[in-house]
Amino acid sequence: MGEAQKGLLSVIEKLKGSTEQEVRIVLLGLDNAGKTTLLRSLASEDVNTITPTQGFNIKSVASHGMKLNVWDIGGQRKIRPFWKKYLENTDLLIYVIDSADKKRFEETGLELSELVEEESLKGVPVLVFANKQDLATASPASEIAEGLNLHTYRDREWQIQACSAVSGEGVQDGMNWICNNITNKKK
Amino acid sequence: MAEEDSEWIIESIVGFLGSPEWLIPVMDFVENKCTVFDDEDENKLSYTDVHQQYKTLVEKLLENYMQEVGISEQQFLDACTSPFAKSKSLQSVFQPVLATDDFQMFRSLMAQKNMELQLQALRLIKERNGELPECLTDGVDVMTEMQQQEMKILQEVLQKSKEEYEEEMSRRLMSGEDVGSTSSVCSTHPTEGRAESNKSPDHTAKPPLSLQVNDSADTVEERVRSEPGSGREEVSSKSQESPKLSPVVSSSSMESRVLPAVTAPLKSSQPISSSISQAAAETCLEEARREAGFSKPFTELSVSQQEQLQQRAAYLRQQRDKLHALKKEQQRTKQNSSAGEAPPTLTAAPTKSPVNTVQEISAEERKKLQKRKHLADKLKEEVIRK
Repeated sequence: MGEAQKGLLSVIEKLKGSTEQEVRIVLLGLDNAGKTTLLRSLASEDVNTITPTQGFNIKSVASHGMKLNVWDIGGQRKIRPFWKKYLENTDLLIYVIDSADKKRFEETGLELSELVEEESLKGVPVLVFANKQDLATASPASEIAEGLNLHTYRDREWQIQACSAVSGEGVQDGMNWICNNITNKKK
Repeated sequence: MAEEDSEWIIESIVGFLGSPEWLIPVMDFVENKCTVFDDEDENKLSYTDVHQQYKTLVEKLLENYMQEVGISEQQFLDACTSPFAKSKSLQSVFQPVLATDDFQMFRSLMAQKNMELQLQALRLIKERNGELPECLTDGVDVMTEMQQQEMKILQEVLQKSKEEYEEEMSRRLMSGEDVGSTSSVCSTHPTEGRAESNKSPDHTAKPPLSLQVNDSADTVEERVRSEPGSGREEVSSKSQESPKLSPVVSSSSMESRVLPAVTAPLKSSQPISSSISQAAAETCLEEARREAGFSKPFTELSVSQQEQLQQRAAYLRQQRDKLHALKKEQQRTKQNSSAGEAPPTLTAAPTKSPVNTVQEISAEERKKLQKRKHLADKLKEEVIRK
């Protein structure tokens, strides 16, 4: 019965008139990592009036002939339990880290390791954005990758990308990796 | 799988999507759950739960129908992928179904329904009550309510200052007229002028004009004094719009202009040389000088002229006092007859006392009420149009 239901829903997707390939991306990370700023930056929107996210934001970005539906979910501790609800059918996970917030590197590492163990994210590629590189106190991306033990990931594609969501630097590089990866995977 | 098969299945599903078996439960769901959907940019976490429930509902409805009609899942799948299902004309019909898969579509559907229901409710309330209750016309949210409050205060202040200005202008105009006419009396009878005025201070010759002078001065004075009263009135009458503001604005600007004229008669009994009343006396003298048509300042005039002017000034003060007293007397009788609402403290000081506060307030209140009504109308328009 459960299987039948899933089938019916997946069919409904096919009713859509558009032939554009849609990609579901979930954007996660601790509070104040810069997820919403990054989302706005991806959508080429104003990044100056951003307040802490209590719920979630969605933006659809067209890139490389695909429609990327990016879900940015609030990162405050009390909201994190809700992340699970948004992981289903996800094609790619973007994880954002505040590179200048050394005190919480451990916390953010724990959250990420919990996420990659989620059943619904099995085999889903991960892009880690080492954000806030514009700050003088930011740690380099390589150091962060080491701290997160990214090199131990064997079941999925991963990438770490240094960026500054505020200036937009490095964001496009990350996007390019996403698009290449998705096309490769779906082919 | 034959093309006709797919076509038949799609058509039958389209028929189902137009039937009450589908429409009623879906409409019910949307209307019941739409209240949390607003037009904020950010989505609430609760939207996801509602979306999930919607998915379950749609699935259940479709499944039931398919079972009833005998469409297998495979047939349905094939039908959905057929080009016929993707034609533009069918896309709008499928929208409620597609909303299960597309959160943003679902969200806009819910937000739109919420807006519709709100407007409907507003219309209903308006029809039932004739107009919207204040709680609905006042602020859509706290921020705009505060802005509206500010607007109210601002408008009131503007109105006040306009009233003041007009009053001041009319007062000036009338006193100017008065001065002009008295001086014309003096100048046409230059020889008799002084003797006559000394002999017979007959103010009845010009009662309307001089009364008017007093009138306008009085009302201005009254307004100043009646302000605290109307301020109190405002507080007691539910709306707390700037009970402090209006009195401050009016009294500060009015006292400075009006009080010298008002206090001048009070001090008429004191000797002119008295240092306290120097200023007031000088004003009187200056006035008298102008009335008499002397062009030089008082101090440069000859002794006899000075004397003459002082007499003239004294006379003017006397006249004013008399008229003042007469006016007060009239007001007192008027007030006594109209239930004597004058505060007892005011009657203690006879020169500064009885005012027809009742009338003043009622007039002001009326104005205020009109203003409020106007505002309410505006708000209503804005809310509804939104």
